[in-house]
Amino acid sequence: MFSFLFSQHHQRIIIASISLLFSSVLCADQKPYAPENIQDVTIVSAEEVIDMILANPDLIVVDSRKKTEYQKGHIEGAINILNTRLTSEDLGRISPDKSKAILFYCNGTRCLRSSDSIKKAKKWGYQNLIWFRGGWKEWTEKRLPAVTE
Amino acid sequence: MKIESLSIKSSTIAIFSMIGITAIVLSLFAGTYFKQAALDAQMTSLSRVIEVASQEMLKKVRNRTFDLGMKLSHSRELISAVNSFKGTNNTGDKEQLVKLLDDPFVNGFVGVYEIDLNKIRVYNMDMELVAQSSAGRKNLEDKLAGYISTVVSNRKAPDRLKAIDALWMSAQGPLFSTLVPLGGLRPVGYLEIVVNPVFNLPDIGKITKTPVHFYSMSGKQLDSNDQEVTSGYLPVAFTLLASDGEPAFKIIGYENISELSSEMDQTQTVTITGFLLLSLSTLLFALWLFNRFLFTPVSRMIGDMERITRGKLELTVNNKGLREFHIFADAFNSMTEQVRMRTNDLQRLLDLDDSALMCFDHDNEAVYFNEGATSLFGYSSDEIIDLDIADLFTDDISSLLSGADSDEMPRGSLHTVLNCKHKDGHVFQSNASINTVDVMGQSGFAIALTIKTNDEDVPSSQNDQRLNAVEQTLSSLLTFAQENPGVIPGLGNLGLADIGDSETVSQKSLLREHVVKVMNLALACWEHELGKTKLELAEESNIWPVYMDKSTPTTRTLDKYLNIDICPKNPRSQRAVDTAEFVLRNASNSKKVKCKELQEALDAFRQLLSGIKSLSS
Repeated sequence: MFSFLFSQHHQRIIIASISLLFSSVLCADQKPYAPENIQDVTIVSAEEVIDMILANPDLIVVDSRKKTEYQKGHIEGAINILNTRLTSEDLGRISPDKSKAILFYCNGTRCLRSSDSIKKAKKWGYQNLIWFRGGWKEWTEKRLPAVTE
Repeated sequence: MKIESLSIKSSTIAIFSMIGITAIVLSLFAGTYFKQAALDAQMTSLSRVIEVASQEMLKKVRNRTFDLGMKLSHSRELISAVNSFKGTNNTGDKEQLVKLLDDPFVNGFVGVYEIDLNKIRVYNMDMELVAQSSAGRKNLEDKLAGYISTVVSNRKAPDRLKAIDALWMSAQGPLFSTLVPLGGLRPVGYLEIVVNPVFNLPDIGKITKTPVHFYSMSGKQLDSNDQEVTSGYLPVAFTLLASDGEPAFKIIGYENISELSSEMDQTQTVTITGFLLLSLSTLLFALWLFNRFLFTPVSRMIGDMERITRGKLELTVNNKGLREFHIFADAFNSMTEQVRMRTNDLQRLLDLDDSALMCFDHDNEAVYFNEGATSLFGYSSDEIIDLDIADLFTDDISSLLSGADSDEMPRGSLHTVLNCKHKDGHVFQSNASINTVDVMGQSGFAIALTIKTNDEDVPSSQNDQRLNAVEQTLSSLLTFAQENPGVIPGLGNLGLADIGDSETVSQKSLLREHVVKVMNLALACWEHELGKTKLELAEESNIWPVYMDKSTPTTRTLDKYLNIDICPKNPRSQRAVDTAEFVLRNASNSKKVKCKELQEALDAFRQLLSGIKSLSS
């Protein structure tokens, strides 16, 4: 009956969707942590981020979260590029100089987006990468200024 | 109360009862304390719930004020307006600034229905008030709350960008403020959002889901969450403190304890009932154990001992029991064995003599006789004890003794020849030494007989020695028999010998009357119901001896028990009881009047006997 209702292609999609749904449910409580550190990448706290921004007004801050999350609140001056959409060209447009400091952050220690973006940037040859591992969670917990849109 | 009147059983039951009562009282006390402890725990729990709910309420307020603060702090107009007040050239337009601060009051903001916005104020970097909204609460002091001011002044550079929240006490009551930097990461001043927390207090009730009333510290009721409070609620007070530790609100939550009380009562009932049942069953089990291993063995031992002391020396006390009772029973059995051996030795001593030795009491009834006497007269031991002196001798021995002068009794003994009556009726002569002896405090006499033969005479001195030996031995035996009635079968009924004289006489008389009555009724029942004769009663019952008198069987002893005039002065009451029981047993199905009378007479006789026994003991 199943084969009568759906084509073979649709069946595959449905099975894949169901598998994905089950794996998501099973993995919901086991969301992995971001790595403790990334080689050759500087990890900073919220206070250090402020110091760096105030000391270096040209510091590039990349928010690797989704756009909706970014709109709800982000660090002043941050550029929103989702990790999956980050390309070498995009990053090259933002920072043609690969030795210039770029700071990445996402939602926090259980968010893998910023570490993913950093790994990409590192692969593309960027040398001065800074990782705000605590991310937006640490920023809001410390009740630091946020920009909403 | 004397300790002797208490039995082990009653003492044990009393102790167990005390333990049981104590356990019940303690369980009731424990139940009460347990209930109070549960209520205290419930109150503590609700207090903590209120505390958590209060923090949640403040968190919600804090988030809303922070959001509003962040929105305003990035307003370029506001930043520009505040910037114009910077420095010595104060060119700022205060009216414009106030208008900008009034905007959220006029046009609203995100979450306007979730907080009660009271004031928006702007400070410069030195925390001096620049301007405040004209809308909202009036008459607020024109300065930052003391707590926030202190925190700000103590902060280091990076921390100055962090927002500060505080619940603080104004002159008009508690207020909640959030201070955020104006201008983002490069602030030009600070923005304070002031709200009235009373607006959000009912949210506490929504979290606790219980009736909650809110009071100011002066006791004025501020609000409630409109849930009804009935009699089954327990009030729990919680004080919400301001950020500086000063009491801000008094919150009273009401916990519905009716369900808890009902569950507690149920639990208490079940627990106490279970405890009592367990205690009771344990006590009963303990009593059963005591009964099995203490009361019953002791009772059995007492019964055995009583039977032994009544003369059944052949019995032994059952030594099956706990170690102490086992040892005690063995010791008693050993003692009984010694008594039996010594009694037998005494009797054997007298029985070894070839002469017939016998002793009579002051009623002329035989109280002792040795085997020589029974063989001489041809009677058995059971038969001879029922006889009196007239049945055995044709001579009046009392007259002989009273008539003898001192010459005839050189050593207190009268030596003469007595005419003796054999069981079969023939009369024979025998040499006799008669001596007066003390039989239980009364005057009796002992007789030593040797068959008179022509060729051999027993020296009188030898008979005297025998009589002295008999007297001494008898004295020992009689004393023992008095203390242990029925122990020595050859001794007659001495049970009433030590009771006072007048009482003894009246009781003996009553006993004889009852014996005669019971025996006559037994014979009547026997003859009427079974149609048998007196001789048949004696033969079939084996209780009464049958004598051959000139080839004619007679029931001489039984006849005596049927006539009050010739009934022995110390009748053997057990024989009468045995006879009545024998007759009733044989006429068991009869409901005739005679048998009923016999049963009643027997019952009355038993009562009389038990009364005499208790008096004697």
